[in-house]
Amino acid sequence: MHFEVKIPPVGESITEVTISSWKKNNGDFVEQDEIICEVDSDKTSFEIPAEKAGKLNILKQEDETVEVGTIVCTIDTESTNNTPSSQSENKNEDHEESDSPDEVHKTGEIIEIVVPEVGESITEVTIAEWTKENGSFVEKDEIICEIDSDKATFELPSDATGILQIIAQSGDTVKVGDVVCKIEVGSSTSKPKESQSSSSKTAPETKRSNESYVKGHPSPAANKILNEKGISPSEVKGSGVDGRITKEDALKASKSQKEEKKGVSEETGDNNRSSRREKITNLRKTISKRLVSVKNETAMLTTFNEVNMKPIMDVRKKYKDQFKEKYEVGLGFMSFFTKACCIALKEWPAVNAYLDENEIEYHDYCDISIAVSTPKGLVVPVIRNAEKLSFQGIESEIIRLAGKARDGKLTIPEMTGGTFTITNGGVFGSMMSTPIINPPQSAILGMHNIVQRPFAENGEVVIRPIMFVALSYDHRIIDGRESVSFLVRVKQLLEDPMRLLLNV
Amino acid sequence: MSTYNVVIIGSGPGGYVAAIRCAQLGLKTAIIEKYDTLGGTCLNVGCIPSKALLDSSEHFHKAEKEFGEHGIQTGKLTVDLNQMIKRKDDVVDQTCKGVAFLMKKNKIDVYYGIGSFKDKETISIHGKEGKKEEIKAEKVIIATGSKPVIIPGIEYDKKRVITSTEALKLKEIPNHLIIIGGGVIGLELGSVYARLGSKITVVEFADRLISGMDSTLSKELQKVLKKLGFDFHFKTKVNSAKTKGNKVILTASNSKGENISLEGDYCLIAVGRKAYTEGLGLENVGIETDDRGKINIDENLQTKVPGIYAIGDVVKGAMLAHKAEEEGIFVAETIAGQKPHINYNLIPGVVYTWPEVASVGYTEEQLKEKSVNYKVGSFPIRALGRARASMDIDGLIKVLADKKTDEILGVHMIGPRVADLIAEAVVAMEYRASAEDVARMSHAHPTYTEAMKEACLAATENRALHL
Repeated sequence: MHFEVKIPPVGESITEVTISSWKKNNGDFVEQDEIICEVDSDKTSFEIPAEKAGKLNILKQEDETVEVGTIVCTIDTESTNNTPSSQSENKNEDHEESDSPDEVHKTGEIIEIVVPEVGESITEVTIAEWTKENGSFVEKDEIICEIDSDKATFELPSDATGILQIIAQSGDTVKVGDVVCKIEVGSSTSKPKESQSSSSKTAPETKRSNESYVKGHPSPAANKILNEKGISPSEVKGSGVDGRITKEDALKASKSQKEEKKGVSEETGDNNRSSRREKITNLRKTISKRLVSVKNETAMLTTFNEVNMKPIMDVRKKYKDQFKEKYEVGLGFMSFFTKACCIALKEWPAVNAYLDENEIEYHDYCDISIAVSTPKGLVVPVIRNAEKLSFQGIESEIIRLAGKARDGKLTIPEMTGGTFTITNGGVFGSMMSTPIINPPQSAILGMHNIVQRPFAENGEVVIRPIMFVALSYDHRIIDGRESVSFLVRVKQLLEDPMRLLLNV
Repeated sequence: MSTYNVVIIGSGPGGYVAAIRCAQLGLKTAIIEKYDTLGGTCLNVGCIPSKALLDSSEHFHKAEKEFGEHGIQTGKLTVDLNQMIKRKDDVVDQTCKGVAFLMKKNKIDVYYGIGSFKDKETISIHGKEGKKEEIKAEKVIIATGSKPVIIPGIEYDKKRVITSTEALKLKEIPNHLIIIGGGVIGLELGSVYARLGSKITVVEFADRLISGMDSTLSKELQKVLKKLGFDFHFKTKVNSAKTKGNKVILTASNSKGENISLEGDYCLIAVGRKAYTEGLGLENVGIETDDRGKINIDENLQTKVPGIYAIGDVVKGAMLAHKAEEEGIFVAETIAGQKPHINYNLIPGVVYTWPEVASVGYTEEQLKEKSVNYKVGSFPIRALGRARASMDIDGLIKVLADKKTDEILGVHMIGPRVADLIAEAVVAMEYRASAEDVARMSHAHPTYTEAMKEACLAATENRALHL
């Protein structure tokens, strides 16, 4: 029998938890009440005991975040502890092992699974991780693979039930439409659950065909190198025959986070000098790759200006309560800036254009990307046709998108296709910055904090709320005249909001 | 007083190899040797001279017994034992000079004399003619090796009751050589004199020859040696042996409790060797030896005194030159801050009888004891074309593999040149190859190594080709 182990409710406000570590390996025999898993929630860590004795079948991996109630593993209660030895007594079976699990009835049909269309501008994606192993049996619609795109991570479900044959490996970059795997269509003679429990023999043998006893065995030279680096062979992926760890693997291996952390804290005694390492998220990986490529591949520079915010602040002061009352949304600065940018973009179309090798793509609309900071990193949802939206329309859209961003629920279309970006470092107190272009866009406006400064007005020094603004732009397609004029125009529109109304 | 990063006491294969490795790693190194020549037991009175005599005697034996069959008529053959011993001495001399050259080349200072600890950092060297000097050492490696064991009741006179050391320089071919001990040393030296015409009687306490090795090898070797004129007394305990004029009288009691008496003209004591630490001054640094005279060490081969290491025959484990060499390298690298590793289970054992015997990994006896499910693949040497061509048809290769994973767990060989062939098994096992892995590798034809491939095929699915 298969007993399902779920994440128990752990507290009123906790809806999801992260699996921090499995105390038992997949396939291990566990005793009832033995601790099998450690789980972290926002508030605390707790342990999950096995509710029955049997063979552990792990479904959710370490570092995965799962909702309360999710089944994290099953325990095969009919499997006994001495399975391996009873199996080896079975002499005649020795030479009869086949490479594919023999409980599957194949139909001969093979279905190819391709990278689906995930968004307008996305042409290629990276295989982040196969959640199913090569040669394993998958059900239709079961998630088999995680895919990273520039914008987000999405999951790839199986189109059919059968045996998975992986073609593109983890880390491979593939084009949309490329075949990433095949499914050898077939059904199991019985439900997979039953087949595992009824014949304790099949499970270990299937495992064997995928994983050799020798996997992770270091060569003598590799062993010495790993010892010296303080790395356990189990932390190294062997590239040799059947997963052996070669000398080259050992030379390339680096210390895992956990080990290093331990080392540091041990040495320093009472002084808390511990450092912490966390695995980089796919989003962070994408961000870092793209930012560096922008720096390298564009001729980016920044022009600055200052904006006297008093007129806008006066307008806001006067109407914000009424605005809020009427539209149930606050009147922020973003709507003024978005509006101002839309007008200026119409006048300086190069700032609203993409450079695509030998062609420049101009846009007659303004899809404004708004940089939103989330716990996992920066995302840039898009306000569509911002030029047509009212102040209220813009503010509502920002609230909606920012909310989704913080919950990590933005869809790829919602983040795709912006023509210009506004980022506001002012909310964190930035006085001045040089933002980085969000490709394939050509320019980005940076807003900053508003500070009371002495300001010359009509030959007199007065104190005014001033914001510095910055426009980073790709000099390859935007000339100085255009960029500077754009920014000056934005300044003009902001310092005299009446112009926004009249579009002059 | 000279100061060194490392001082090594003893220049056998463990000590001198450690010295070279230390020097390679940039450590200022000195080595101390008690005798006049470097190389220790192995080069002077062990592996090398015995091989020289084994090869000479094998040539004689082949000329006498096999040349006729090859179509070579020799007439009457005579042995010039003096020349044979002289050639052996020349081989030893050249090899020892080779070590001296290596010390010079690696800028290792050599001190001749008895090295002993004054304290943990000071070694005093008592040279010949009362010459005495002291050197300082940051680290010391004890590599003083071993000496033959003499059991009680035996009057070791070095003339007729002898050890391996004297057996390498006899003035005459014994008529009847009685050997106490059916281990490697006894059987190798027994082979030398058996080929030259001596009658050999082996008295062994255990129930079989080379008792540490797989019993299949014991059986095969016993058969071969019997053909050569060996006589065996197993489960027999020697009570006394002493010289009487030109004879040696040996008394012993067998498993039935009967007393037996043997008379020969020489008696070779070959019951093993014991760690040698005499005059080392261990008491001055607080290092003790166990009941078998061995120095206790930790997993880094360090004694209980930090900075003092011990390797080779003077510590636990098999008394083999190549084991000592690995330990020498291990300690040198450990001192240099590296983290080497020795897989002790994969140190091969070899016996230079003819056919040779070689073995690595677990024996069948060990696997049974560990309750490992294993399978056996065996292939006889006589089925090889190469063996028939050379008339070396005795022996077999036996491969033991895990029943489930097919991983090779032990390889046991007896046959021509198997002391060389065993290296293939060591490589395969270091990489944890399966029997089928080796069976699928091309082995040149016609060679003796084909027996390894065939034995692996036999172990894989019992599908040897030439059987």
